Amino acid sequence: MSQASIRVRLTLWYGTALALILILFAGTIYFVMARALRDQVDASLEEASSAAIRTLGEHRFGPFLIFEDLSQNFPELALLDKFFQIFGPAGQVTIQSANIQSREIPLSQTAFQASLKGNATFESVRFDKGVPFRLLSVPIMHTDRLVSILRVGISLYPTDKMLQRLLLALLIASPIAIIVSLLGGWFLAGRALKPVNVITHAAQRIADGDFTQRITSPRSSDEIGRLASVFNDMIARLETSFRQIRQFSADASHELRTPLTITKGETELALRRPRQAEDYRQVLESNLEEIDRMSRIVDELLFLSRADLGEIKMTMMPIQLDEIVREVQLQAMVLGQDREVETVLGPISPIVIDGDELRLRELLLNLVDNAIKYSHSRTQVEISLVQAGLQAELKVCDHGIGVSEQEQQRIFDRFYRTDIARGHASKGTGLGLAICKWIVEVHQGTIQVESFPDKGTCFTVLLPLPSSLS
Amino acid sequence: MRILVVEDEPKVASFIRRALEEESYAVDVCADGQKGLDWAQSVDYDLIILDLMLPVIPGLELLKQLRRNGVKIPVVILTARSEVDQRVKGLDAGADDYLTKPFAIEELLARTRSLFRRAGGTPSGILQVDDLVLNPVTREVSRGEQRIELTTKEYALLEYLMRNAGRVLTRPMITEHVWDLDFDTFTNVIDVYISYLRNKIDRGREQSLIQTVRGSGYVMRTDV
Repeated sequence: MSQASIRVRLTLWYGTALALILILFAGTIYFVMARALRDQVDASLEEASSAAIRTLGEHRFGPFLIFEDLSQNFPELALLDKFFQIFGPAGQVTIQSANIQSREIPLSQTAFQASLKGNATFESVRFDKGVPFRLLSVPIMHTDRLVSILRVGISLYPTDKMLQRLLLALLIASPIAIIVSLLGGWFLAGRALKPVNVITHAAQRIADGDFTQRITSPRSSDEIGRLASVFNDMIARLETSFRQIRQFSADASHELRTPLTITKGETELALRRPRQAEDYRQVLESNLEEIDRMSRIVDELLFLSRADLGEIKMTMMPIQLDEIVREVQLQAMVLGQDREVETVLGPISPIVIDGDELRLRELLLNLVDNAIKYSHSRTQVEISLVQAGLQAELKVCDHGIGVSEQEQQRIFDRFYRTDIARGHASKGTGLGLAICKWIVEVHQGTIQVESFPDKGTCFTVLLPLPSSLS
Repeated sequence: MRILVVEDEPKVASFIRRALEEESYAVDVCADGQKGLDWAQSVDYDLIILDLMLPVIPGLELLKQLRRNGVKIPVVILTARSEVDQRVKGLDAGADDYLTKPFAIEELLARTRSLFRRAGGTPSGILQVDDLVLNPVTREVSRGEQRIELTTKEYALLEYLMRNAGRVLTRPMITEHVWDLDFDTFTNVIDVYISYLRNKIDRGREQSLIQTVRGSGYVMRTDV
């Protein structure tokens, strides 16, 4: 594994930090302890020396001082851990306590020099057997003359032993503490990262295409809980848009497959045997019709997908809407000729709105073309344009096959066509009204349908007037 | 052989009808599920070609209702969606075969023949009565060594007679299986076509294969 998992890294970081803290902590304890013990030893040496000097003073510093007298007067001096020595002014031993036994502990040069100057000296020494001692040498002066040097010594063995034990305890306890805390850290990191693993697995399944997955971590408001809920929201939105895209492409391929089926079927049928020229002409005409339908579907699909991406450029400027209505009415007269559907104008008010002329013309032409397509023969399509409050109200009404109430909500959906419209002779693409709706909405307007089956349909477009926009 | 085409897209229905008619089948077309269900239950069709996306009653529902009502007519489903589950649902609902749009005309015709063959019980599909042989694939008819040229309707009539050889076929039965809904039952067209067939098949032969059953209709004899 080139990159250790977060869990491993967390644990290692945690362990390293803890080890450093422990080492610092143990070191501090050791040195503080060592220092305290040393100070304690030195204090007891000083105490013993001053007691000894007091006793010596009572005896006038005579050479007849004996240890027994000292210990008699000062029972604490009898403690076995200390020994006393008194040196003459030349540095030679004159008297020493019994517990020193036969050990040779001469006065060091440094202590002697310091004593000559009247200073006391602390020394740590180690003798042949390796037993460490702490020594205090105090000069005893009489009228500025060095009379003798008192030395008190104590074995450092108990102190060293204690420090050794402390060190041992720290050396054993620290690794155990580190191991235990590493295990704890590993466990805690695992616990903390568990929801992350859950999210990872869910994301993996989603990547495999299963959009029904949701993260089922407890609904908490902590970091992981928030991540999970944001993640779930994201999946839900992905699921919706994926379903829409899938539906859209399924619909698109279905819509394209029908004209393909027809051109393929007609062409194959024509080629099965030799036919009259007239038959071939009919097949070619039919094929042309279907090819036109396919290219219309492709154009409209392209328009809608560009509209979705916000790539359609709109040039908004003041538009004389009533003029567009009149122009479209003239075009509509031609469109309706075959089926004797006449397009007439109802009340038309001079209205100016801010909009894109090309798109508004397309909107109106789509609505009128639709109206004519689904009109009964020899009926009228009526266009009206009036001001309704702060809005322009554009209406296109026909007397045709109509739309049932439950289908009215869906006719603006892409590729939706009513059952009757689907079987209708003049084929729409199922995208016209979706495009109309888009055009109305970019003009901040609304489009509504009102219809009765077999009676007719009215589309009402409301567009805001310029004054109401500002 | 009479076929019902239930398809709401007029141009698709139109070329299917023409292709089948060229193969001398009688074809009826209807554009919604309700009509399709009514017709399928009232006429003894030999085959139904059914689109799945239909207004009023969806194709799958139509098929289920037909099977529930005990109608055993073979059904080929047409679906614009090539998705497997649509086909599986269709076959499970009782369809005998399926075609996905866009399909090849020849494939539609081959599947039609195959279903008739399955219904008729002849593995090769070639129909034979005595020395009269009819090949539905090549649409060739011969008696002995001699090839016989037939018009579309004559061929359709002969195929129906041969498929039901030995059975007495009444005029209404012949009407139902050889002619479509536009046929005017008050004419004697059947008798006219039978006499055309007899002229081409039986004239000058020792054995007459097409026999008149007085008061009932006609029979293709097998006991000669």
